[in-house]
Amino acid sequence: MLEAASRPWRAGDFSPSGMLPSGPSPTVDVPEIQFAFGTIGVGAKGSHEFLIRNTGEAPLELTRGATSCTCTVSDFEETAGGSSNAKVVPPGGTTKLKVEWRGKGDGGPFRQQASVLTNDPRRPQIAFVVEGTVIPIYLAVPKAITLPKLSTGTSEQATVRIVTFGKEPPTVDSLTLDNEETAHFYSLASSPLKPAEFAAETGATGGFQISVDIRPGLPIGPLRQTIKAVFRLPEEVTVEIPVEGAVSGDLALAGQAWDSSREAVMLGTVSSRTGSQTSLFVIAKGPHRADVKPVVREVVPDSLQVVVGEGRAVGSGNVIRIPLSITIPPGSGPANHFCSPQAPAGRIVLDTSHPDSPTLTIPVCVTIIP
Amino acid sequence: MNRLVFLPPAVAACALLWCCMGRHGTAETPAAPTVAQTVQPPAAPAATVPNTPDRGAGVDDSLVKTFRDRNGSLFEGWSKPQAVVVVTGELDGYIEPCGCTGKENQKGGLSRRRNFLRALTAADWPLVSVDLGGQVKRFGRQSEIKFQSIADGLRTMGYAAVGLGPGDLRLPAEELVAAVAPVGDRPTPFVSANVGLLGLDANITPRFRIVEAGGLRFGIVSVLGDAEAKQVRNDAIEIVPAAEGIEAAAAELKKANCSHQILLSWASPEETKILAARFPQFDIVATAGGADEPPAELPMLPGGARLVELGHKGMFAVAIGFFADSQKPLLSQRVPLDARWGEAEDMIALLATYQSQLESLGLTGLGLAAMRHPTGRRFAGSASCADCHQHAFDVWKDTPHATALATLEEQKPRRDGDPECLSCHVVGWAPQRYEPFEGGFVGMKVTPHLAHQGCENCHGPAAAHAAVERGDVRASVTERDRLRSEVAMSIETPEGKQKAINNCLECHDLDNSPQFDFDTYWPQVEHPTPPSEADQAK
Repeated sequence: MLEAASRPWRAGDFSPSGMLPSGPSPTVDVPEIQFAFGTIGVGAKGSHEFLIRNTGEAPLELTRGATSCTCTVSDFEETAGGSSNAKVVPPGGTTKLKVEWRGKGDGGPFRQQASVLTNDPRRPQIAFVVEGTVIPIYLAVPKAITLPKLSTGTSEQATVRIVTFGKEPPTVDSLTLDNEETAHFYSLASSPLKPAEFAAETGATGGFQISVDIRPGLPIGPLRQTIKAVFRLPEEVTVEIPVEGAVSGDLALAGQAWDSSREAVMLGTVSSRTGSQTSLFVIAKGPHRADVKPVVREVVPDSLQVVVGEGRAVGSGNVIRIPLSITIPPGSGPANHFCSPQAPAGRIVLDTSHPDSPTLTIPVCVTIIP
Repeated sequence: MNRLVFLPPAVAACALLWCCMGRHGTAETPAAPTVAQTVQPPAAPAATVPNTPDRGAGVDDSLVKTFRDRNGSLFEGWSKPQAVVVVTGELDGYIEPCGCTGKENQKGGLSRRRNFLRALTAADWPLVSVDLGGQVKRFGRQSEIKFQSIADGLRTMGYAAVGLGPGDLRLPAEELVAAVAPVGDRPTPFVSANVGLLGLDANITPRFRIVEAGGLRFGIVSVLGDAEAKQVRNDAIEIVPAAEGIEAAAAELKKANCSHQILLSWASPEETKILAARFPQFDIVATAGGADEPPAELPMLPGGARLVELGHKGMFAVAIGFFADSQKPLLSQRVPLDARWGEAEDMIALLATYQSQLESLGLTGLGLAAMRHPTGRRFAGSASCADCHQHAFDVWKDTPHATALATLEEQKPRRDGDPECLSCHVVGWAPQRYEPFEGGFVGMKVTPHLAHQGCENCHGPAAAHAAVERGDVRASVTERDRLRSEVAMSIETPEGKQKAINNCLECHDLDNSPQFDFDTYWPQVEHPTPPSEADQAK
């Protein structure tokens, strides 16, 4: 049986107020502590009254406690002799706590609570919960187009679905790009969604799809672009969809010992008595990925043993990973390539067979001690 | 008589046995542990120990009472459990408590989480910590560094299993591999049954994990839901359907004879419930996509599993206690990570390192190229405005806006190198994009005149207007008046007021200024043009 802190009190439970009083005492009774309101629009308000009874023999003192969000407020019902912050309920009497909430954010599940402090020693605090779903004005899926490492030599396609919840289906006024410098690499188009394509979203009344085509040739570096869609429901709505990521070369490295900030393999200090072993992956992308067949041309220090494994396609095949096993065998001679001015980095030089990057030089930071 | 209670070493109290199973290693696989290992959980501080782990060590009583009154008491009616599983997740990048100001009133942050977990260990409760994933939400170099910092923090906290959320998987795979890879002889805590960095057969992370605590054996599986997987566009990551991943892991878990099985499902509650129904062997099922606030009690799904929601932004942890009591085998506690937990020095040090990394990389190193302001105009700095608008300037310099950057410099660790903070504390940035506009604040050495939350963040860039008014540039009366009108603001009309409110909300958002109300805040910064200045301008 599962229980939680806000469960009703039962005999034998822990009482935070210590021993229960022996004289008359109030007893708070709440038939309902949770209210499911169903759905509400963004910015719209909802309210519900929770009944609070005093079934004890002494006056029940109630104080309004905190709410879990500024989007939710609570008030006691107005009666003579009470305030909205505090209330005294005589034995046998009742009062109501009115909880109001506002649909906030981008929509989705909503749950907030308003607490009331009482002088009932068995139940010093009650949390009244309101929950439901906030219906947004629109829903963009995805909210951003992320292309973590886009190869400069490849094209890319993406789609964004905008599902709307207005009185009418959306009318798209414009699709624009805010970064003029790279806008000519992009083509944008919109098409309405069919009812079946937005039927899964409760309350949705329409939607459209934005198709994005990115041509090859974007400059290497951070990818910064924003698609701005203006549409009417009939009120005008503007959605901004960031296109984020980075455009990179076709070859990259990954692995436990690869430090991308320093762009070096960090092997640290290795005892020649024990040696060491680590693995890296060469990641090949772009149209020539299948041509990449690394061959070790040079290693420094010369005790490094590098074995190139078989390349394998990852996932849908747009990336090929090629394992590199790097070993410093026991008995290797001392060497200092600590990557400092006095001890410059060692290196692994690979011939790659890639037409644009025929050589890959991997700096290695390592000190081998006796 | 006061009595100090000294605990035995935490290692003796809670030794975790981590079995990295499901790693069907290949010759190409980086060295990965495939046999059972005893992992030393982080040491608990030697201090007096409360009976109930409901506060951080050394936190002031009055502070504890304040937050107990505000957010509720914890672990009432609990005795020492056989073991406690703590579930966290959906940090969404909030490595610190949600919000930049008034953090004492906000919930969340790794530091408080650390002290909560320490309190459990100090109370001698055998502990298994698991995280759903979703450490970051944004993309870019800062998020990469943040993910690495969080991964380091989770390792320090002794997490047994950490899932991967869609925000995490938007990061470049090579950065993810470096961040999640095993450190030394400790296995990686990251685990996924259906997501493979550089391919599932690369075995960067195990498919599942088995952990022992308090004599119980927990099997833990983490998956990314199918709907979320469709949003991940990362060619270097292989994702198979969640059910397929669970199926493969479940066969191995069955052999392990676990006392309890835990599913960490990064999916909507609806999709998670479908998975839970299909795989009834899981008795604890954590889901993403719930409401801001997790429910006080764990709802029971039709198959008997308990559904765990976590809220957002890492503001809550959920503790599930397992008891050797047939009447009461399970208790749960939603734990708000508020100020009652205090700050953990090692997590503050981690945060300082993170801030130091951001500062040393600088805006260029973080890949933040300045973008064109929508108006195409440039910034002058608030001091330029004072030449003509002395009254407005005098009002402004007595508001917190005029010292906004100083508040970041005074933080410990200081935050004035953090773009996510800078964007609302200087002139010339896009607040919600955390990026500078061309000609916006770069740093105190280069652009000291753009420090703090200045005039042009509301009125718009005014370099041309200021130059014309100073006489640096000659302009016709028509042109001069046009430039004046560009920076004029009025809240007299509903449209003008709404425009002003929208601008304020760029920084005074729910995270950073939850109490913001325009009509309450506006009188504190209001600066109407006095008649004398209006006459002068004619």
